[in-house]
Amino acid sequence: MISLLKLNIWTLLSFTRLSSPRRRGSREINHTIIPNLFRDLFDKKMLSDPGSRPGLKVQHDNGYLDPRLREDDNCGINVKCSLLVRASIAFLIFLSLTLSPSYAQQDAWSYADNEQHPGKEEKLGIDEWIEVMNPPPSAEDNDPFESFNRLVFSFNEFLDMVLIEPLSRMYHDLVPEFARERVGYALRNLSEPVVFANNLLQGDLEGARVTLGRFVVNSTLGLAGLFDASTDCGLPYKKEDFGLTLASWGIDAGPYLVLPVLGPSNPRDAWGKAGDYALDPINWWAYHRKKEVYSYTRTGVQIIDAKTENLELMNDLRNNAIDFYATLRAWYYERRKDLMLEKEERVALDTPRPDDDDDDE
Amino acid sequence: MLKKFLLSAIFLVWTHEAIATVEGEKAEAFMTEIGNKVITLLTNHSISPQEKAAQFQDVLETKFNVRAIGKFVLGRYWKQASKEEKEKFLALFKVSTVSCYATRFSEYTSEKFEVVGSRTEKDGGVTVLTRIVRPNGQSILIDWKIFEKKGEMRIYDVILEGISMSITQRSEYASVIQQGGGKIQALITALEKKSGRQSR
Repeated sequence: MISLLKLNIWTLLSFTRLSSPRRRGSREINHTIIPNLFRDLFDKKMLSDPGSRPGLKVQHDNGYLDPRLREDDNCGINVKCSLLVRASIAFLIFLSLTLSPSYAQQDAWSYADNEQHPGKEEKLGIDEWIEVMNPPPSAEDNDPFESFNRLVFSFNEFLDMVLIEPLSRMYHDLVPEFARERVGYALRNLSEPVVFANNLLQGDLEGARVTLGRFVVNSTLGLAGLFDASTDCGLPYKKEDFGLTLASWGIDAGPYLVLPVLGPSNPRDAWGKAGDYALDPINWWAYHRKKEVYSYTRTGVQIIDAKTENLELMNDLRNNAIDFYATLRAWYYERRKDLMLEKEERVALDTPRPDDDDDDE
Repeated sequence: MLKKFLLSAIFLVWTHEAIATVEGEKAEAFMTEIGNKVITLLTNHSISPQEKAAQFQDVLETKFNVRAIGKFVLGRYWKQASKEEKEKFLALFKVSTVSCYATRFSEYTSEKFEVVGSRTEKDGGVTVLTRIVRPNGQSILIDWKIFEKKGEMRIYDVILEGISMSITQRSEYASVIQQGGGKIQALITALEKKSGRQSR
């Protein structure tokens, strides 16, 4: 599955027309890719036809080029290829390099320790033995970039403090609860097509039926999504996103990542975010009509809506936590794990249990 | 041989199921009772806030097994801890849990508490599924992991929207201890600081 994703990265790279056909065949990703890509960009063929690259300065008519000038031109052209492309390539490579979960297993410590639960061994069933033998990795053991993540986290906290939270508070205080709820439902209704697409991609026809039903009922009876009429009709909302779809395809989450502004994530869910954006018909519409501003506005409102909805919970968590970063990391981990499960798959085995030593004096 | 094994397996599953439903109903009744108790306590305006807090603490201490939770939450460090550290930690953990839930529950006032169902787990515990319905119709799902020991039922974990409070707290505490150079004292100091901050 990892190789599938790497292949995916290569497809994307080839879309950006930066990789030469010769390299595209290779599925191995290493640190030398960036220099190679740039070398390929400036092979003789391109340089011999200065007209094809207007940004390129060619000093000598005889085709001779000072090697140092070539370096300079590299920079000039890269600016032309746009910083965004470069940054996204670097990010993709970073993701693919970090997708290997092997380090997570190196130091896997089992919490399912029998010695902690004396006198309980005879109750272990087959399923529990499976769980004891394959302990679920814990959130704090899956964070190799912790210091970097903490840095981004404090940036997000700062941004939150100076911008997002004041906006949420204003929204909370100025807009009555009834109106805020309508906005929340309308936003959720607009996101149902993406949920539907993900239902299909996961092969979950029953889920797709429910989502389609929800969308139809709420868009009509629910007055363009302002009211959630379908939950009362027995069609409850279930969140799906492309990160969960990737998970259902067996792709590993990879290490914990804190994304700027967006917050807790991991490579898989970061891909998922991009996928959801690409799957959304409203974004297509906005893109083709050159009205991206709608997409951005919607995302902005979504952030403020989610933030306002969780204002109390977040502050409660922040106040009760000793290490808020670690708390959020664990919350994210557990929440994503739970969203991946169907209702009937849920079990709670990794919990405190009675033993011989837990009586109150 | 195989037939015998299959038969006994079927028998085991069957008896397991039979016991499960009885235990499930008992656990659901237990949770309904606690829920009603807490709600009457929270909506009772005739008693003083101090009295309310004391009664609330009493519910927590008798209905939750705070000691077992504390032990679990310390995770891999429980075995490393000295007897002194264990006692100190458990005392602080109790204080912090009580104050944490006291503030959390005090915000839920006009909500409805419903027991939705239960699920018997393979470790002998029962998970009771409940729902808190807010005035605007949105609901919060809370699962409670319950074990019966010596004929007495107690809550061992709270799972809020699929997020186990014990697991997240274990992860947080492990992080605090790791940042403090692997010393349990680091966690104890942090908890002391926090309880001092909250009582002021």
